[in-house]
Amino acid sequence: MRPSIVIAALAAFMSPALAQDAYVVGITAALTGPPASTYAPAIEALRIYLDRVNAAGGVNGKKINLVIQDDSAEPSKAAANAKKLLTQDNAILMINASLSSTYAPVVNEAKNAGVPLLFAASVCPKDVYPPAAEGQFCTTAFASTFDSRAALSFIKETAKEPVKIGFSAMAIPLSRGEIDFAESQAPGLGMTAVDKEIIPPPTADYTPFATKIKDAGANWVFSWAPWVTQVRTFEALRRLGWAGDYLTWAHLEAEGELKRIKDNRLFVIGANSLFDDNLPVQKEIADAVKAAGAKYPPEQMTEGWIAGMVIEAALKGAGWPTTAAKVQASMANLKVDLKGLRGGPIEWTKDNHFRTRQYYRIYRWDSAKTAVVKDWFAYDVK
Amino acid sequence: MSRSPRASGYFRTGYAQETALTQTRLERVALVAFLLLLAAYPFLASAFYLDLACQVFLASIGALSLMLLTGYAGQVSLGHAGLLSAGAFTAGILFREFNAPFWVTLPAAALSGALLGVVFGLPSLRLRGLYPAVSTLALHFVVVYLGGEYETKRGFSTGITVDAPKIGGYTIYGGRVWYFVLLVFAAGTLLICLNLLRGRTGRAWRAIRMHETVAEALGIGVAAHKLLAFVISSAMAAVSGALFAYYRGFVSVEAFSLFLSIQYVAMIIVGGMGSLLGALLGAVFVTLFPYAIEAALMRLPNAQAYAGVLFAVNYAAFGVVMILFLLFEPLGLVGIWRRLQTYFLLWPFRHRPLAGPRR
Amino acid sequence: MQLAVNIIVLSAIYALIACGYVLIYRVSRVLNLAHGELMMLGAYLLLATASSFGGHPVIAIGAAIGLSLAVGVMVYLFLMRKMTGEMVLAAVLTTVALGILLRGLMVLIWSAQQQYPGQALGAANPALVLPGGGRISTFAALLVVTTVLVYAGLFVFLRFGRWGIRMRAAGQNPLLAAQRGINLHAVYALAWGLSTLTGSLAGMLIALDSGLTNTMVVIGLKAFPAALVGGLDSLAGALIGALIIGAAEVLSIQYIDPLLSDVVPFLVLIVTLVLRPWGLLGTREELDRV
Repeated sequence: MRPSIVIAALAAFMSPALAQDAYVVGITAALTGPPASTYAPAIEALRIYLDRVNAAGGVNGKKINLVIQDDSAEPSKAAANAKKLLTQDNAILMINASLSSTYAPVVNEAKNAGVPLLFAASVCPKDVYPPAAEGQFCTTAFASTFDSRAALSFIKETAKEPVKIGFSAMAIPLSRGEIDFAESQAPGLGMTAVDKEIIPPPTADYTPFATKIKDAGANWVFSWAPWVTQVRTFEALRRLGWAGDYLTWAHLEAEGELKRIKDNRLFVIGANSLFDDNLPVQKEIADAVKAAGAKYPPEQMTEGWIAGMVIEAALKGAGWPTTAAKVQASMANLKVDLKGLRGGPIEWTKDNHFRTRQYYRIYRWDSAKTAVVKDWFAYDVK
Repeated sequence: MSRSPRASGYFRTGYAQETALTQTRLERVALVAFLLLLAAYPFLASAFYLDLACQVFLASIGALSLMLLTGYAGQVSLGHAGLLSAGAFTAGILFREFNAPFWVTLPAAALSGALLGVVFGLPSLRLRGLYPAVSTLALHFVVVYLGGEYETKRGFSTGITVDAPKIGGYTIYGGRVWYFVLLVFAAGTLLICLNLLRGRTGRAWRAIRMHETVAEALGIGVAAHKLLAFVISSAMAAVSGALFAYYRGFVSVEAFSLFLSIQYVAMIIVGGMGSLLGALLGAVFVTLFPYAIEAALMRLPNAQAYAGVLFAVNYAAFGVVMILFLLFEPLGLVGIWRRLQTYFLLWPFRHRPLAGPRR
Repeated sequence: MQLAVNIIVLSAIYALIACGYVLIYRVSRVLNLAHGELMMLGAYLLLATASSFGGHPVIAIGAAIGLSLAVGVMVYLFLMRKMTGEMVLAAVLTTVALGILLRGLMVLIWSAQQQYPGQALGAANPALVLPGGGRISTFAALLVVTTVLVYAGLFVFLRFGRWGIRMRAAGQNPLLAAQRGINLHAVYALAWGLSTLTGSLAGMLIALDSGLTNTMVVIGLKAFPAALVGGLDSLAGALIGALIIGAAEVLSIQYIDPLLSDVVPFLVLIVTLVLRPWGLLGTREELDRV
């Protein structure tokens, strides 16, 4: 072996690389594993976006070096990833796009290293809402409690007869918590909560659960869970001859699935615009995705694209040469125009690292394309 | 015997020497050198490599405990992750609910592991072969379900966070401190295992593994010793789980999947059944393997594009390695190690003399 | 009524999967823990053939069935054959390793995305209304019919078929069977092929009914208690075990707590292992001789 290689290997083993000539952004994401379909497209979009930024000369004249680590939604792997990204690669911004069970270890590591942590495509933790914890930020569309409030208010104003509402959740803490919250809100809005099904993730047959919802006499069903649970409960209900209305969260898969199912009483509520809106920025995304030969269709890319726009803006504000602290300061005072991908901008202040207003829109399938049922409506985040 | 002498011949003159852990001066020198290396490691390695070492120590404790059960007492367990999670949850729950200190939660975790060990072990008293393995598999699901219920009911949807443990006024915190703490625990587990195996219990276990009926005829309490194996192994595994909880600062059910159980089984297979050294080698191999694959893939051009398939590649490669070991090297890494050792011991000869000193 | 339909559908799923465990265990005393993966592979093979023979569902399904049979035989010839005569534990662990390998490969080839082979085949899945008011989807009904046919076929085959009798003989006493001139390797390969075939059928029909993701493996694992409760070496036992597990699961969803459906099969399994370890219809293990 040549001595130079030995020395290089030793150096890599003993101390992290020092002076870098790029912004290093580290990601731990569930690119594989059961919940990957929620996160992998977003990360691919983020990569494509930042590649474009780099190709156009980078930020403040410096490239962005994106280091992606897969944690396959396992907390221990996420912890090891975070440690590597923060100590080995010297990331100045850390991103988590994985199941909520990976949060605790990644937050710990980021806090110890003094590096800001962004949740993108993964559910926003409590710490980003006002009063926000230092160093944690979130761009993800869905937001617990706000989503249920918006969904239930839509059901209330749409329903013509008294609402008997059924709920469906996946047996993961996050989904269960949100559905429990929705269930507690229903009576206050004059709805009767008739049934709640918490469905274990891999289930051979969803019909037994659907049977219970149908037999309970629900005329509306609200589901807030990973897409598989949402859509399979719905399809099982329809197969049982259930004719009610079904409202569910618009995950990345929603647009393609609305097209597949073609049921005009399946409503999806979301914070991102669907691609049938034909916005200029969506065309831009579609072209970029095509040019990059991505694995996922463009309509699944919005979430990652938004994260990319925010990261670019944050790094621009941090200047060069930069430190993790400067990035964090820049993020704590940021406003990014999303060009219509959402109802309004993402705006972060010193004690709000979520957004100041959370916008929602509701779509459904309407004969030939997806159509807006209720246009942007918003809740102030305080 | 399982431990071949590393001296060039058989020079023992008393029973005490039969059970001595080291036999030659070279062995003692090597041991001291190895210990020195272990002690120096944290001052040389970066934080990432320290973390890897800590993971290896944690895995070693689990692998040693499984080796006792499977490699020596002959009882297969597919529910090791369930025991680890039991320990982790005991520590996590006691800390969250009662703010219990380190020196309470750790024995409590061991106790919960021991109790579960009795439950895990009961079917093995009536059954032989694969059935007990299946019951441990079933228990894994039950334990994990209970843990998940606790998490949800108490609203710890992102897992239970556990603060750094305090002993006296001193907080165990930071990579180097943890390195030594885990090293001490792993070494302690190794010593306990060595001593158990050198004594009556270990001989009873080996006899049971070789032939249950014969063991019983020899006057060994088969049921009691089987249960004892389950209890000791489970208690150790639970301690390893509790240490994991403290080291990572959190507990959540997702960290204890069925795949983790399989990884532990893989450790003792790849390492080599019926050898404590095998358990250690297996723990090192299985823990570092994914990182090695990753490092190899990242050397390829356009590396970031492979990030998405990395896990799948890891998975597939892991399966291939396990199959290769099962097919071509049933003795595991330790078999390779022994062959190497024998090669140098006997050099320039290739075989032991047919008749000669007792081996 | 709907409750009965739900129980029958779920039981049929478990029964169709469980007979694969039984076939292999009965013949070679090996527990195939890669069965869930092989079943999922069958479903993905259908996805692959469906996209190549899109317009011809019959050809696509036929090709997928043929392929899955071939996969089973190849698994025996290239892998498990080397493990005959080894410790049973080693053989079981080999199947575990095979499962891990297959899972990795499947994600590499077909990604982790949700897929719809039914859509690729152009097959609709309307619900049928049964007399009595229960409803069942077409593919679920097809699955129940398939299960009945597979079990009937296996019973006849094992009782009267020339190779069926050979399989039973090999299971009873491999040494004597070999000395009577039965080609053990052929018998074992056949058992692996049939087992993979029936498992794949289950995988394909589940995927056609409700879509395909890589979490299907877990369904295979949940069918495992059915085989054990009935007795690992009895086909009739697997059928009864599947009914018990299916009923326990659906009834606990309906009357106790839907969350329990995940653990109920394993609780039933533990109870069985404590009370009657060899299963309802299984044979007791022989005593050891010194």
